[in-house]
Amino acid sequence: MASSSGNDDDLTIPRAAINKMIKETLPNVRVANDARELVVNCCTEFIHLISSEANEICNKSEKKTISPEHVIQALESLGFGSYISEVKEVLQECKTVALKRRKASSRLENLGIPEEELLRQQQELFAKARQQQAELAQQEWLQMQQAAQQAQLAATASASNQAGSSQDEEDDDDI
Amino acid sequence: MAAAAAAGSGTPREEEGPSGETAAPQPQAPTSVPGARLSRLPLARVKALVKADPDVTLAGQEAIFILARAAELFVETIAKDAYCCAQQGKRKTLQRRDLDNAIEAVDEFAFLEGTLD
Repeated sequence: MASSSGNDDDLTIPRAAINKMIKETLPNVRVANDARELVVNCCTEFIHLISSEANEICNKSEKKTISPEHVIQALESLGFGSYISEVKEVLQECKTVALKRRKASSRLENLGIPEEELLRQQQELFAKARQQQAELAQQEWLQMQQAAQQAQLAATASASNQAGSSQDEEDDDDI
Repeated sequence: MAAAAAAGSGTPREEEGPSGETAAPQPQAPTSVPGARLSRLPLARVKALVKADPDVTLAGQEAIFILARAAELFVETIAKDAYCCAQQGKRKTLQRRDLDNAIEAVDEFAFLEGTLD
């Protein structure tokens, strides 16, 4: 469904969706292809019409977002008031589903594992993470040390080569 | 109790934010409840159509849902009207002219006269 054309005005409702609706509305009726095409275009126009009107209503209401109320008012003012009762059922369904989903996600958290156990697991994970961090830090510190030691050895080696005789510095143990 | 609280943000994605961008994932359309399917129309497409209007800034998700349902009702209505025309013409196949007639016959469909060739 990639619309790579980029031209928003070429957007329509997909033909398949329209075909399905026609089939459900008029089962066993043959529909000519160009008739279907027209329905697709009409449906698109309808959406533009209602959304445009709803947008105007929205602007007048000084709200920034088109709300279901605005759409309903648009339907009314454009003569599609008969759709309103069915459309309101959808709204009800939205709210019910949203509510269920909120409940479900909180139910899921409580499912099976009691709170104390969850807490305990959490503490365990934190402790593990802290330990790993500490080990990592220590490793880095050791590596830095070794690198510093190497550098120092190299420096003293070249220094004693230049100086000639004194070997005492090489016995220094820097830890 | 951070673990549980963090997971509690399962709220439906409301489009009321300042970004106004089309959310990439599809809005969750309630279709699992029997007899209460929202719409046969793909909501992302409906939303894209609404946004194609340069005057439109933001549209809420629920507004899109009900607009999709209204569009579906529209298709049903116009299809049935057109079918009546076909039957009057004693035809069994719905032709384009049946739609033309249906459009001309109904005042509310006057906005469609621009789509006719």
